[in-house]
Amino acid sequence: MSRPASSSAALPIAYVVLRILIVLNWVMSAAILALLVVSPNEQWIMAAFKLSPSPETERLVMGMRVIAVLGLAAIPLHYAALKRLLAIVKTVRVGDPFVAANASRLQAIAWVLFALQLLSLVIGAIAKAVSTPAHPLNLDAGFSINGWLAVLLTFVLARVFAEGALMREDLERTV
Amino acid sequence: MAIAVKLDDMLHDRRMTLTELADRIGITLANLSILKTGKARAIRFSTLDAICTALGCQPGDILRFEPGQEEI
Repeated sequence: MSRPASSSAALPIAYVVLRILIVLNWVMSAAILALLVVSPNEQWIMAAFKLSPSPETERLVMGMRVIAVLGLAAIPLHYAALKRLLAIVKTVRVGDPFVAANASRLQAIAWVLFALQLLSLVIGAIAKAVSTPAHPLNLDAGFSINGWLAVLLTFVLARVFAEGALMREDLERTV
Repeated sequence: MAIAVKLDDMLHDRRMTLTELADRIGITLANLSILKTGKARAIRFSTLDAICTALGCQPGDILRFEPGQEEI
């Protein structure tokens, strides 16, 4: 079977990028953990962000702590999605992507993306609640139409793969 | 499935092996074995046409409906 030239380069790149992202995800978890370990030291935090002690800044620091905890909760979710995506790429590389396992993997990835979007909404809401005009907390979190479209697209793609796997099974046993 | 494939009987009558039939109709021995052992889920009209041409028979000679012979 002939394959398009672009796919031969895209797959190894995707494989390497996913491996790197998995490592970066663990690095990120270590960074967030470190942040949580030092964050009880309020003086250090205040000095780092040039904040003067006040009820508002204390609320800001508390909000940042909660966001860090939520960020930590996102780490296993990222890992679950990346690990499954890597497994899908592996099946594409061996030329057998339309299998029921990939449909389940995509379904799981879709739920993970859904959970991440919910997490993003919560983080965005917290950031908005603890922000003050003097110390705005600008985070790339909150409602994202692209993010929710990705969730929808992945759920649809999971169904497409499930149908594809069934058709493939039928074709395999057609003489 | 209640559809039984009677390829063995036809081959025996015509003193032909499965390999010879596979060569004549141009499909792999593995695929023909799937058909012969009743593991196929579907058969193409083109395959049926080729088998009937090679064996000089009707589709009904190689396919039978046998209720109660459900596949596990």
